[in-house]
Amino acid sequence: MIRVVTLDPVDPTDMAALIRTLYQAFGLGTEYAGEKPVPAEAEGKDGRLDAITLLREVEPVRTFADDKVLYIAGSPLSLPPGPLGEPPCWGFADYGKERAVITTAKLPARGVTEASIETYRRRLAREAIHAIGHLWDLHHCVDARCAMHPSWSPSLAANPDSDLCTFCREKSERKIRLAKT
Amino acid sequence: MRGPPARHPNDDAREQLPAPEGIIGAADELKPGDRVVYPNQGVCAVVGWEVKDIAGQKLELVRMTREEDGAAVMVPKGKVPSIGLRRVATGAQMEGVFHYLGAVYDDPELDWKIRHRDNADRLIAGGVLGVAEVVKGLHSLSRLRPLPTKEREQYDNARHLLVHEVSVSLGVPPGLAEDYIDYALMPPAGVKFDLKPPPAPVPLPSRPKKRRVVEEAEEGDLGLGDLGLGDLGIDLEGALEGAEVPGAEAEGAEGAEGADAGEGEAAGAEGVEPVPGVEEAAPEELPEAEEPVAEEEPEELPVRATRAAKPARAAEKPAKVEKPEKPEKAAEKKAARPAKAKKAEPEKPARAEKHAEKPAARKAATEKPAPAKKAAAKKPPAPKKAPAKKPAAEKPAAKRGGKKK
Repeated sequence: MIRVVTLDPVDPTDMAALIRTLYQAFGLGTEYAGEKPVPAEAEGKDGRLDAITLLREVEPVRTFADDKVLYIAGSPLSLPPGPLGEPPCWGFADYGKERAVITTAKLPARGVTEASIETYRRRLAREAIHAIGHLWDLHHCVDARCAMHPSWSPSLAANPDSDLCTFCREKSERKIRLAKT
Repeated sequence: MRGPPARHPNDDAREQLPAPEGIIGAADELKPGDRVVYPNQGVCAVVGWEVKDIAGQKLELVRMTREEDGAAVMVPKGKVPSIGLRRVATGAQMEGVFHYLGAVYDDPELDWKIRHRDNADRLIAGGVLGVAEVVKGLHSLSRLRPLPTKEREQYDNARHLLVHEVSVSLGVPPGLAEDYIDYALMPPAGVKFDLKPPPAPVPLPSRPKKRRVVEEAEEGDLGLGDLGLGDLGIDLEGALEGAEVPGAEAEGAEGAEGADAGEGEAAGAEGVEPVPGVEEAAPEELPEAEEPVAEEEPEELPVRATRAAKPARAAEKPAKVEKPEKPEKAAEKKAARPAKAKKAEPEKPARAEKHAEKPAARKAATEKPAPAKKAAAKKPPAPKKAPAKKPAAEKPAAKRGGKKK
């Protein structure tokens, strides 16, 4: 089961579209689990939320074994800098565990036109699939059309698809099958 | 420091490569709580020692737990040095790995066999840098063309190992370690890293480069015997007459093959079997022509020698023609050169049978090749020209003609 939790208000129609897409992508029941407050510990000085602290401190939701929880934040997220600097953060997931967070701050503006809303939804769905893919042990993919391709990659299309490539889909299905047993 | 001991009994002869840093040489170096990297498995934590009775033997085992999933790993104490266990990469090593990952690299190995083998070697014995090399190499290749399934899996496995080692080494969650790796591998547009020179690549065992070289050498060796022209006995003698320089013998023979075969075709395909008339036409050339043939097939010499009671000419010709000998020849040739001999051999008996059945055609054959041979014999410069001009171009034509028959 995938449970979606919001940390900032999200349009209900966007949420419905997201839940539908997640269900189609992983074949798992998906539901909206309400809104939770942003933990104060995660707020940084620059107005960004520390993604790792956020996942650690955020208020939990009731889950069962193999449930995955996706948090959606409106504020930008930050990650600790690595050997070559700080990677851009569109989301963060506890690899192979149960919690992931994504931000809507880096998505294209939602706008009011049908096209811009559609673009926004597609990108939101892509980031959500990407984060939940990490929860199902998927690594980043070399295929630029796959949802598991890094979100900051220069080879990513302007309006990328929200589908998994064959390899990633099969791998996630295998993991899900094993988990269900 | 020596590399890991041989994995297979025949590996002893292989060159010993420098081991990756931090390799564990003896089981005594391990203590409970140590974190080690098991090649191709990932980071494990040493739990302790155990003595187990396995198949009637008491084995002292090192018990480890794979950190990723908690799987138990038990290694006999004596095997610890040979499996390539090593310590988790240090911060300095990891920095080198990131500088390697961030460097521009656009020269992936394109030969999939070499690539796959090298990558497997790197994953097993290359340390963290070896794993990074696999990830980097396959990632650059994936930019040129989609990875085949096996390599996609290999890439995923290598990435998995690297992510977990980076995660343990830097003390960050695996998700973040993967972001670091991909930030280095595919930086966002406009980001440039201030990179240090990357560490030296992992040395791999040297292997023969290409097989083609061997094939070319084989082709060079094949010479006359492959086309079965020695058996046809057409203009071989005339052609070889001109090959005076020993070094140019093979070339001359090849050229002559082409020329003679061409003439043989022109004269008619029937001129396959040796004919008394033809033999008489060029009696002086036979002894000279015999030399290269004898050089090619030294095993047949005793057979010929037994029949050598007759004059040289008479002794030689039957040896070329005689059908019972052909299977022997074929067997010998097959053993020597498998590729071309196969093509040439099976056709001979069929031809011979044909001629045996058709006396009329045989008669024609006796008449037709004779002028051709004479002409070839009377043309002393022909073989001299042949080596330079004809070898490659005319060979196929001769073969094709032969098949048509």
